Amino acid sequence: MSLMPAGTDTAIIGIGEYRVGSMPMASIGLGSCVGLILHDRQTGIGALVHIMLPASQGKTDRPGKYADTAIDVLLKELSRSGSSPANLIAKIAGGSAMFKTFSGNLNIGERNVEVIRKLLKDNNIPLKGEDVGGCVGRTIFYYPKENGKLVIKKGDGKLSEL
Amino acid sequence: MKFDAELMDSLKELANIGAAHSATTLSQLVNNQINMSVPDIDLVDISRVGDLISDTITTMVIFELQGDVPNGGYLVLELPGESAARMAGILVGSIDTDNHLHEMEQSAILEVGNIMISAFLSASSDLLGFIMLPSPPILVEDMAHAAITSLIAQMTMDVDEVILFRVQLNTPDHDISGNILIFLEVGMLEKIAARMREMVAG
Repeated sequence: MSLMPAGTDTAIIGIGEYRVGSMPMASIGLGSCVGLILHDRQTGIGALVHIMLPASQGKTDRPGKYADTAIDVLLKELSRSGSSPANLIAKIAGGSAMFKTFSGNLNIGERNVEVIRKLLKDNNIPLKGEDVGGCVGRTIFYYPKENGKLVIKKGDGKLSEL
Repeated sequence: MKFDAELMDSLKELANIGAAHSATTLSQLVNNQINMSVPDIDLVDISRVGDLISDTITTMVIFELQGDVPNGGYLVLELPGESAARMAGILVGSIDTDNHLHEMEQSAILEVGNIMISAFLSASSDLLGFIMLPSPPILVEDMAHAAITSLIAQMTMDVDEVILFRVQLNTPDHDISGNILIFLEVGMLEKIAARMREMVAG
């Protein structure tokens, strides 16, 4: 049972996956993972990627899994769909620290967010909205056709919109 | 490492024995009969974890697996729906039920998790002949998928697939159910696999 059942036309983006298009897209239960949206304000097309780790360390088989390779692959795919980088804006959600007390706490969520922010800046893509950090899970819904609206449902029951 | 059918079967049997011990301790705690499912063991692609674990808010008691093999993985006792509140009610008496567990209830749930998971690991250690211990537990009340995938993200190896064990326990009289989820690091899996093969070979 999902907190906010996705419509049948909603693409569910699992860890390490990404989609480009104009259909609604969702990622459920982001913890330290980050959902990154690149939205084209001209065409109403965009992309959602479900990033798990900050650095690919040379791996290329799952570009959506790592912050560094995810941004590259989204820019490439969006350009193929006719998007110009100048029309793109970004939104991010996730990057929590779900467990504060474990010895192996590596702040993966925080590092994911840092790397994404830096790479967006390097690529001159404005970050127009973010709901990151804390110690709470997030389910996100992205609606490319509604001006790139991003709806966020949190583990504490709060609902917000970017 | 390769996961052949034989290895998966032996891991399932190990989980079965561990979970039976957890069920017995739970049965003593709530003084009620416990039904236990046949353990599931799945090799799951990380992109498909969401098919098995949802974003429903749930209560989880989470342990790191320690002992002879450091960073062995994680064990999670998940108490869906009202199960955590009901179980706490049995143990510390009923406190009025809003959506959150009070401090006393949280302590009770942590202790239940500790007792059940310690029983699981003690039985598994006896069988395998090396020590597996739980870390102090932490309690998380949030989306199951958010917690579980954060555990997977902080595993020491960058993995594309995880082995997920799941056992369901249920007390019919109290309407309490619980799931034990286990994620093992590759090093731990290899150690268990080697030991299991030795035992099968006799």
